[in-house]
Amino acid sequence: MTRILVPLAILEGESISAGLASLLEPMNVTVLGYHVLPEQTPPDQARVQYEERAIDALEDLATEVGADDGTADYRLVFTHDREQTIDRVAAETGADVYAITGATGPVDRLLVALTGDVAVERIVSFVADLVGDREIGATLFLATDDEEGGRELLEMAATPLADRGIDVRTDLAIDEPPFEALIDAAADHDAVVMGERAPSLRSLVFGEEADRVAAGSVGPVLVVRRQEEGAEETADRPSEAAPDRPARDGES
Amino acid sequence: MSGESAVRDEGTNIDGDTPLVESTVETDEATITDESELERTLGLSGGLAIGIGTMIGAGIFVFPGLAAGNAGPAAAGSFAIGAVVALLVALPTSELATAMPRSGGGYYYISRGLGTLAGTVVGLSLWFGLVFATAFYLVGFGYYAVDTLAELGIAVGDRLVIPIAVLFGAGFTVLNVTGTENAAKLQNGIVALLLSILIAFLGYGGLDAIGLIGESAAPEQFAPLGALPVVTTAALVFTSYLGFAQVATVAGEMKEPGRNLPLAMVGSVLVVGVLYVVTIFVATSAFGSETLAGFGETAMVEVGRHYLGSIGAFAIVFGGLLATMSSANASVLSTSRAIYAVSRDALLPRGASRINLRYGTPHVALGMAGGPILVLTATGRVELLAEVASFLHLLMYGLICVALIALRRDEPEWYDPDFRVPGYPVVPALGAIASFALIAFMQPASRYVGIGIVIATAGWYAYYARDVDLKGAL
Repeated sequence: MTRILVPLAILEGESISAGLASLLEPMNVTVLGYHVLPEQTPPDQARVQYEERAIDALEDLATEVGADDGTADYRLVFTHDREQTIDRVAAETGADVYAITGATGPVDRLLVALTGDVAVERIVSFVADLVGDREIGATLFLATDDEEGGRELLEMAATPLADRGIDVRTDLAIDEPPFEALIDAAADHDAVVMGERAPSLRSLVFGEEADRVAAGSVGPVLVVRRQEEGAEETADRPSEAAPDRPARDGES
Repeated sequence: MSGESAVRDEGTNIDGDTPLVESTVETDEATITDESELERTLGLSGGLAIGIGTMIGAGIFVFPGLAAGNAGPAAAGSFAIGAVVALLVALPTSELATAMPRSGGGYYYISRGLGTLAGTVVGLSLWFGLVFATAFYLVGFGYYAVDTLAELGIAVGDRLVIPIAVLFGAGFTVLNVTGTENAAKLQNGIVALLLSILIAFLGYGGLDAIGLIGESAAPEQFAPLGALPVVTTAALVFTSYLGFAQVATVAGEMKEPGRNLPLAMVGSVLVVGVLYVVTIFVATSAFGSETLAGFGETAMVEVGRHYLGSIGAFAIVFGGLLATMSSANASVLSTSRAIYAVSRDALLPRGASRINLRYGTPHVALGMAGGPILVLTATGRVELLAEVASFLHLLMYGLICVALIALRRDEPEWYDPDFRVPGYPVVPALGAIASFALIAFMQPASRYVGIGIVIATAGWYAYYARDVDLKGAL
C-alpha cells in the first residue's frame, strides 16, 4: 500500500487535523516530526534539549493516524534544511506521497489537480487507493489552453475512478490563470491532491507550488512525489541507508 | 559500536552530571540515534567555504606587512612552513574525523584518544584559542574599516580601529544569537568572490613581479635577517592556518563525511597556502620589505594601489573587510560549538549548552564567546592575540597527531576510518613534532599567556571533572 509522509514542525505545535487523520487512516503513514535549526546551532545540541518533548508529541500524533493498528509510525529529525529532510525520509520509507497538513473537517470531496507536467496515472491510481470504498467524491481539475486535449485527458483520467464506483466530476478551466483557478475550485473541496512538479525558476521565486496551494486553500494538500530518473535505485535504498534502524511503530 | 560504552561507568563531575553518551549509527546522509535523526546538510563546497573562509582573512590581509618586516621576502618561506605544518596536521585530523564524524572536532578526538585531562585542557583551550583568534580577526577588521573610510575620503585615523572592532564584535554576537538565516550561503558567496578578487589581483601582480609586464622590481636580498626570523615568523603567521580544523567541528553536519571531510580540510589548506605564498611574493616584489612593514596591518592596500591604482586599492580594502568579517564570524560560531562539545561531556556545567527557545540558538555559549572576545579586542595587541591563538591551536594540533598514534596502536574495535593517513607513522609524528616546535619559536609573552591558560584549564579539570572518564567512549 502507498505510504504517506506527513512532515510536521513538531516543536512549533503543528498537528494533524481530525479530517486529515481520518482521510489517511486506511493508508500507511509515517509522521515525520522535524525541527529546523538556524545554522549556528548543531542539530545534536537541540536534540539533547528537545528530544523528549518532541517524542511525546509524536507518539500522540502517530496514535491518531493508526499507530495502534500498525499502519503508522513516526520519525524525528533535527535539521538545518527542511526540504532535504523530507526528500531523504520519503526516499528511505518509500513514501510516494507527502501531506501538507491544513485545517479541515470530515473530507467528503477531494480536488485532484492534473494541471501541468505531472504523472496523471500515478495521481489517479493513488486517489483510487486513498478513497477505497469510502463515500468520498473526487473532482478532477485541469487548467489548460487546449480545450480539446484537456477534455480528453480528464475523460481518460475519470474512467478508472468511475469504474471503481467513485463519484467523479471533472472541472476544466480554459484560458484562466491556472493557480488562481485551482484555488477558486479548492474552496468547494475539503482537500487537494496534486502532483509534484519539477523545480523551476517560478518555484524558486515563489516557493513550491504545493506549499502555495496549501497556503491559498487553507486545507490539507496531498502531493504525489515526482519519480526521479533511476527510480529503481530509490527502491532499495531504505535497507542500505539505515542498516540497523530500530523498528518502532509508535510503541517505544 | 556502542555496546561497550553502555556498561561503562563514565563518572560524574562536581554537579553530578555524566557525559551524554548515546549509541548512534552514522550514515552518509544522517546520524541516527535511538529516538531521532540528525540531518547532514553541508556539502563539499560548504566544507571548503568554512575552511577557506576562516583561513583566508589573516594571512593575506593582515600579516604581509608584519611578516615582511620580520623576515624580509623570505616571509613567503614562513607561510610555506606554516602550510606544510598545517598539512601534516590536516591529514591525521582527516583520518580521525572520518572515524568519528561528530561535532566537536579536535577536542573530541583528543578526549577519546588521550583521556579526560588532555580533553579538558584542549577543549577549554580551544574555546580560549578561538576567542583570541576572533579578537585578532576583529582588530584586523577594524584596520580595514578605517582604511575603507579613508578610501572614501573620510580620514578618521587609527584611533577608531579598536572602537570599530569592538562594535562589530558585539554586532556578530547579537547577530548569531538572533539567528543568521542563510549565513552559510552568504559565506559561500563571500569566499567565491574573495577568491576571484585575489586570483585576478595575484595573477596580475605575479606577472608583474617576475618582470613579464611593467618594469622589473628592485632586487632585494631574499632573507636579509637570516634563517631564524623565518621560523619565528612562521610561528606568528600560523594563525592564518587555523581554519581547517573548524571543518572538523561541523563533521556531524557534513554529507558523505568519509569523502568530504578529508577533501575539505586538505583542499582548503592547499588553496590558502598557495595564495599566501604568492601574496607575500607579490607584496615584497612591489615594495621593499621595510617599506611594506611601514604600512602595517593594511599593507596590502598599498600593494593593490601599486599594481592597479585606486581600483586595486579599493578591491583589496573591500576584500579585506569581507575576509576579516567572515573569519571573525566563523570563529564566533566555532567557539560556541566548542563550548557545547565540552559541556555535553560534563566538563562544563550543562547550562552552557542551553538553546534559546525563541531563536533556537545557543545563547549561553555565544555569550561565553562574545564577552571575552570583546575584552580581548579592546586590548588591540595584534601580534600577541595572533600568537596566543596559534599557541593554543598548535597544542591541540600536536595532541591530535598524538591521539591518532595512540588510537592506531591499540586500534579499538569501533575505530574504522574511511580515510587513512598516508605515510603512517611518519606523517603524524612529524605533525606532532612540527606543531610543538613552532610553539618554541614564539615570543615569550605569548608562551606565558598560553601556558597560563593551559594550567588554568588543568586546574579546572582537577576541581570540576576529575572523575569523568572519556577515554574510548564513543
